[in-house]
Amino acid sequence: MRKKLSEMDYGEEGVVKSIEGDLRNKVAGMGIRVGVRLKMATKQPIKGPVVVTVDRYSVSLGLGIADGIIVEVEE
Amino acid sequence: MKILLMGNPNVGKSAIFNRLTGAKVIESNYPGTTVDYTRGYMRLDDEDVEVIDVPGTFSLEPKDVAEEVAVKILKENRDSVVVCIIDSTKLERGLYLALEIIEEGYPVVIALNMWDIAKEKSVWIDAKKLERVLGVPVVPTIAVSGEGIRELVSRIKEASPVDIERIVRNLEG
Repeated sequence: MRKKLSEMDYGEEGVVKSIEGDLRNKVAGMGIRVGVRLKMATKQPIKGPVVVTVDRYSVSLGLGIADGIIVEVEE
Repeated sequence: MKILLMGNPNVGKSAIFNRLTGAKVIESNYPGTTVDYTRGYMRLDDEDVEVIDVPGTFSLEPKDVAEEVAVKILKENRDSVVVCIIDSTKLERGLYLALEIIEEGYPVVIALNMWDIAKEKSVWIDAKKLERVLGVPVVPTIAVSGEGIRELVSRIKEASPVDIERIVRNLEG
């Protein structure tokens, strides 16, 4: 199932399918690109950032950025 | 010539900076910002060379003031050799920045720092192969213990600009 990264639940895993155009370069430097596997690690309350695990390290992303990343989530 | 230490945040830039320069450092503030960076000097072939500990950045397209300062320092010091420090446990995003700097035409030396922690996490990097592909010196280092620092210094003079197309060809062949 495809969903926004910001909508993923704790512990859900998936593969990045698409990234909004102007965000692509922004997150590439943090190791997030189309085709990469990631896992939702933490969601901070009150529209706070999300933390995902990519390639055995953690990356935190603002909610605005997480909204622009579409992930194919494994059932 | 200057030496710029660049890399993602928290990869050990300052630890390597301290190894290279000892304790004699100058704290500077970029005019108009509150982003501090440190400068110091090291001996290289009987010459005192300025070393700048550049604020950490993920890419050359700045997202915040610290990254803006990092990019500014890079652009204002065209005659520099960039020592690009990579956290060996986070190789991909470190290489992203390194490639951007190489693409800008700077001579680059890569330090694969936190080599010991990578080993602990069962991360193995073929540094020799990486060196062949990139065409720049690649040296495993452990800044906290000083391992690899001597080799890193000795290879600074080998750094020369690499055409990014050549790296692409090396990857294909």
